[in-house]
Amino acid sequence: MSIGKKAQAGTIQSSDLMVFVEPDAGLVIEIESTVKRQFEHLIRAKIEEILRGQGITAGRVRVSDRGALDYAIQARLETALQRASGE
Amino acid sequence: MVTEILGSAATERARAFIEAQGLQFEPVFDDLVGIFEGGALVAIGARDRDVLKMFAIDPSRQGGALLGALVTELVRRGFAAGHEGFFVFTKPEHATSFEALNFELLASNGRAALLEHGRGLARYLEANGAAVREGANAAVVMNCNPFTLGHRHLVEEAAGRVDTLYAFVVREDRSAFPFDVRLRLAREGTSHLGNVHVLDTSRYAVSAVTFPAYFLKRADDAAAIQMELDLLLFAQRIAPFFRITRRFFGSEPYCPTTRAYNDAMRRLLPSFGIEPVEVARKEARGAPISASMVRAALRDGSSAGLEQWVPGTTAAFLSSEEGRAVQERLRKGEARDA
Repeated sequence: MSIGKKAQAGTIQSSDLMVFVEPDAGLVIEIESTVKRQFEHLIRAKIEEILRGQGITAGRVRVSDRGALDYAIQARLETALQRASGE
Repeated sequence: MVTEILGSAATERARAFIEAQGLQFEPVFDDLVGIFEGGALVAIGARDRDVLKMFAIDPSRQGGALLGALVTELVRRGFAAGHEGFFVFTKPEHATSFEALNFELLASNGRAALLEHGRGLARYLEANGAAVREGANAAVVMNCNPFTLGHRHLVEEAAGRVDTLYAFVVREDRSAFPFDVRLRLAREGTSHLGNVHVLDTSRYAVSAVTFPAYFLKRADDAAAIQMELDLLLFAQRIAPFFRITRRFFGSEPYCPTTRAYNDAMRRLLPSFGIEPVEVARKEARGAPISASMVRAALRDGSSAGLEQWVPGTTAAFLSSEEGRAVQERLRKGEARDA
């Protein structure tokens, strides 16, 4: 799978996250989170794991997180990626 | 559920709701969305390009998830329309409600707060990191509509007194000369100065976000608040990044809004360790040079003697095909005269 166009998924409600993805030459992950200080590394690791699983090596992924659990991160990111691949 | 508010009857209902909360309904927006419960409107919000505004929530329903639902929908629509980040103006007491939604506070002056969603300022500064120099640095902020000998005089005066001068050209495209042309003419008109970096302000100085009143040309109370926010953002976030300790500006004989802005610089900047430095306007034919005089001359087709007002680089542009197209638009009055 690849990021062919801009796409977005999720909400900015509590315990959720909003994901924005768009094409980029490199792989860029930007994280904003209300729990950034404690959990940024874990959020990043989860995102990297999902991208790896989908075989994505290029694109810009921005998340605006409000304390989402891993399941929510996975669901929102996979939805955004699916929309970005045009499927 | 958040729904789009369409049609005149629904819009009138929205207006009544907003006014009942003591806020002003502004009819300019791209999206107007609301939340209804049992047929009653309980929350409303709007988007005008990348500015989110007119948030109103029924007092009995505040403190819950309604604001998040409104912002989610407006950000979703704004992203689909091509915007990356979003701004909101609000009362300082509501800033924390937006910060909880991952908005970042850009500036607050006790009467209003400006926040943004999407890390835009951080990305803007990162993108300009290569231009940062050590030393005694200064800034000028100019619209350059178009670049005149007055602008060149200001830049030369400032550059001669500092190590590095950052000349910020206002990105906001509400001027007769488009931003890419204004930036290019500023670069060409200052290329003889080795210590001048001509940079894009993005949305972070004298833009419709930080300073909408400048483009409305009136100096009322709202304008005063916005000038302060604009300068606080400059003094607290932009100047420290570029190691700027002085801000140069031309004296203002004509425009009351710009004069009020100059006064605000003198009042506010010193407390942040930034020295405001006024430079007397360069004169030609016994009058201070201004870009609006140049535009008026172009509009009237009286371009004779223009070389007393603009450098050769700007004159060359004006006689190019692209330059003639701008003059044609000026004459037809299509472009806003900011």
